[in-house]
Amino acid sequence: MEQLKRIILKDRYSLLVTTIVVYMAVLMLEGLLTGREARVIDLENPYFDFNVEDWERFQQTRDPSPDQA
Amino acid sequence: MNSLLPAQFVALLRREVLENRALFIAAPAVLALVLSVFALWAISMAPGEQLAAGVEYLSIMFDGLSPGEMAPMFLMPAIPFIMMLYACVLIYLLNALYQDRKDLSVYFWQSMPVSNLGTVLSKVVTVIAVVPAFYVAILFVVYLLAVTALSLLGLSYDVEVAGLGYMFMAAIFSLFLFYVSAFLAALWLLPTIGWLLLFSAFAKRTPVLWALGVFILLGLVEDLIFGTQFLGNWVESRSNFRQYIVLDFPMAMDRLFSYDMLFGLVVGAILITGAVYMRRFVD
Repeated sequence: MEQLKRIILKDRYSLLVTTIVVYMAVLMLEGLLTGREARVIDLENPYFDFNVEDWERFQQTRDPSPDQA
Repeated sequence: MNSLLPAQFVALLRREVLENRALFIAAPAVLALVLSVFALWAISMAPGEQLAAGVEYLSIMFDGLSPGEMAPMFLMPAIPFIMMLYACVLIYLLNALYQDRKDLSVYFWQSMPVSNLGTVLSKVVTVIAVVPAFYVAILFVVYLLAVTALSLLGLSYDVEVAGLGYMFMAAIFSLFLFYVSAFLAALWLLPTIGWLLLFSAFAKRTPVLWALGVFILLGLVEDLIFGTQFLGNWVESRSNFRQYIVLDFPMAMDRLFSYDMLFGLVVGAILITGAVYMRRFVD
């Protein structure tokens, strides 16, 4: 434990990395346990319809095929 | 336990206020002055009889109403002060552990018999509990002057002004809501407070760029390596403006003892601990 403490407190960079790693680990663990999910960006607009969840379909519908160009 | 610890901590809080008077006192005072002058200029455009009729209308509208129920209405004129509070606190936190390293006064403060934990906690408590109190005091003066001016105007035109007392009580009650909202918002944003303090203690230059840049980079790295967006999801779940305003005390209690609040306190404590240990690395 003392060895670990010496490594973490060796300099400001190792301490920063350790703090950020612990922070991200706690957030990701909590996200996994509680099932926190992203809200899809869904802009409803009669002139423009964009749904990032279905990017492949968006690419296919927007991709001008040779006979449509 | 050191019996002088509470007195030491109060001295640290006083130090924070004295060193940041411009942010905590002058900024909201100037904002209050500017808004008051603007309001006076706008009111002066209307004829006196119209103003008196307006005062009478307000008096009749508020007469007999419960101040507690009408108080949320007075959070609307406090919105510029809420925005000023957030801006000043952001500037304060980024400089809190950076400025004294930049001007080398950190050597003086570290020669004092005060721990790094006490120093960092004093800055956290300043943001959570002390700074909102100054804003409440300034808003109280603004509301008092406004009601006094309206009452004098109404009396000079011999209109009913008794209801303005109820309006003033509602405005005072709204100051409690303002303080509780600011207090709970600061607790809700404890992870942000800890993040800013961490980079304020870490950065040798431009702590704002470090704080922002590392945050954006973390999100990208998480997505690239793990294919997840837990950081983004978590930030997004805490970014609804309704989470920053309290309209009554039952709402405040529900917010204070909610799971999201308690988890945020844990995450904030991790980052603040990092800031406390970071303090030992003086340039």
